[in-house]
Amino acid sequence: MSDDPVWRRIAWRNLGRHRGRTLITASALAFGYLAAVLMVGLMDGMNAELIENGTGLMVGQVQVHAADYLPERNMHRTIGGYEGIDLAGFLRRLESDPDIVAAAPRLYGGGLVSSGDQTLGGVLFGVDVRREGEVTTLLSTLREGRAPRAGAFEVAMGSEMARQLDVKVGDQVVLVAAAADGSMGNDLFTLAGVFSTGTPALDASHVLVPLPDLQYLLAMDPGRVHEVALTTTRPWDTPVIAASVERSLSAFGPPLRVRPWTELRPELAESVELMGSMNWVIIVIVFAMAIFGVANTMIIGTFERRKEFAVVRALGTTPLGVGKTVVYEGIFLGVLALAAGAVVTGPVLVWWHNRPPDLSGIVGGFAWSGSMWRPILRVEYSWDTPIVAAVALFVTSVLAAVYPAWKATRVPPADALAD
Amino acid sequence: MVHTPAHGTLLFRRLAAASLLVFLSPAADASGQSAREILDRVDQLLRGRSSRGHVEMEITTEHWSRTLAMDVWSLGTDHSLVRVTAPAREEGMATLKAGREVWNYLPRVDRTIKVPPSLMMGSWMGSHFTNDDLVKESRVIDDYEFEIPFEGIRDGEEVWEFLLTPKPEAPVVWGHVEEQVRKRDLMPTWVRYFDEDGTLVRTLRFSDFRVMGGRLVPATMTVIPADKPAESTVLRYHELAFDIDVDEGFFSLRNLRGGRE
Repeated sequence: MSDDPVWRRIAWRNLGRHRGRTLITASALAFGYLAAVLMVGLMDGMNAELIENGTGLMVGQVQVHAADYLPERNMHRTIGGYEGIDLAGFLRRLESDPDIVAAAPRLYGGGLVSSGDQTLGGVLFGVDVRREGEVTTLLSTLREGRAPRAGAFEVAMGSEMARQLDVKVGDQVVLVAAAADGSMGNDLFTLAGVFSTGTPALDASHVLVPLPDLQYLLAMDPGRVHEVALTTTRPWDTPVIAASVERSLSAFGPPLRVRPWTELRPELAESVELMGSMNWVIIVIVFAMAIFGVANTMIIGTFERRKEFAVVRALGTTPLGVGKTVVYEGIFLGVLALAAGAVVTGPVLVWWHNRPPDLSGIVGGFAWSGSMWRPILRVEYSWDTPIVAAVALFVTSVLAAVYPAWKATRVPPADALAD
Repeated sequence: MVHTPAHGTLLFRRLAAASLLVFLSPAADASGQSAREILDRVDQLLRGRSSRGHVEMEITTEHWSRTLAMDVWSLGTDHSLVRVTAPAREEGMATLKAGREVWNYLPRVDRTIKVPPSLMMGSWMGSHFTNDDLVKESRVIDDYEFEIPFEGIRDGEEVWEFLLTPKPEAPVVWGHVEEQVRKRDLMPTWVRYFDEDGTLVRTLRFSDFRVMGGRLVPATMTVIPADKPAESTVLRYHELAFDIDVDEGFFSLRNLRGGRE
């Protein structure tokens, strides 16, 4: 083993003998590295887009409900039971958790929205307008008008619903809903704003009503809400945070359930998981392609040096020593390629992350797993992908050297020299 | 709507007719009477060309219970009008059925609203009836095949028990329907609605048989949802008159608004 430095030096010199070839081979590996990291980054970007649009628009990262509210969404199952809660105190308590950034209370009702001759069924979505903006992006999708003001009997609705009802900002609409006391709540509201989320189901069915006004319409006390949506400091850790919030609320009284988005949108979580496994496929394919290219080059390289190997063998070098030279060549090639790859990939990632190509002009977006995907080629950074890809690159270059190295050890000195 | 008030009398008639049309089945012929004869007779008993009534509807749910009082008018199977008279919060609320269209009037906001077709399966006035129960016309003979799996004495009363199975193409939400009718006076006593898995969904009971408006009718009808046996909707007729003097003009949007322009 004490001979190793010699083999290393020989290997390094061998790389230098055919600089052009070394450069091309290393470039191929470096490009493979760039491709793998970038493609995985794009997949992650697509995932982030799906998660953000799937949860950021309305779901939020974590939701608190009365334990028996889901899945029936019975309007009577409010947080804290029939009595409701001290809402302000409850929100303060949630926000005092260091993992929680913001909390937004919600109330849901089903009802009719009517204007003139047109009547549609809709979801009446009661929100605290200020707080909702801190948890979801729904209010930022207002295309016309402004957010409704509490106490003024104003609403905002989706663009498709407004189109079907043939109403515009400033028009009056009638909301009719089955109230909690069994009566038929009905009132006139003014359309203050129209939102367009790009998610057809939302735009055609949701009416945003300030929380106190919806509570009045549904004959419910101000302390009654169905849901509190939370934004956390660590979106990727929502299952852990949800569990800890649920524990901290266990002494609250009526049982509560705290669910992360992965549980609220399981189909979305599954999509994300599926895409995660695709990352491995990408890495394997990219480097499987690279491995043959590198192996090919190295086989040619060793074949050219048959006579050389024969000479060193004849001078008393062990087959192992010859093999080591070739493997070291692979290792050095890998290191070179990795250094080049990292130097090139870093800036490309940063640039792409900050200036994602927007293909909206070429292709439309589509909805997948109930989440909207905009045709913007976002790239997300991650820590594990560059490392995994680096290991893959390194393993590739070493593996690609193994077969040529084995061939080199098998060069019979006498025969090769006799050729 | 989530709770379209629909026509009590119409509902009553529809259910009554549903219970009677079964006599068209060959099995009923076996009882010695022609199905059409029985049908005509009972139709005369339970259906007038037009009707007017005063109804009380008591709804009991897990979360609340309440009683509504309403006046109801009907003409044929196509026209009906319901106007709530109590409690005060809902007084003046009204529902008009004209053909396949259903309109509601909301006095609080002074607006009429047409109930969209998508909400026809919604609850009627928060009760255990659906809008569709009230609006759908009696198409029992078109929609069902009939059998009489039981004919004999139940609780000391001679009855038929009918099994109604929807025809394959019939626009019916039920898997099958069972119905008991007393032979003595052709009064229905109960109807049970089953889903496609054969699970009981709801039971409709008729009781308080008495003469109103010159006819023997079940003055009380109770709906019990099978999954919530503690809940119910009870419909009680306090007044009922048949063959009154109304025409189609009465069932207008103007009249829906209680005569207000």
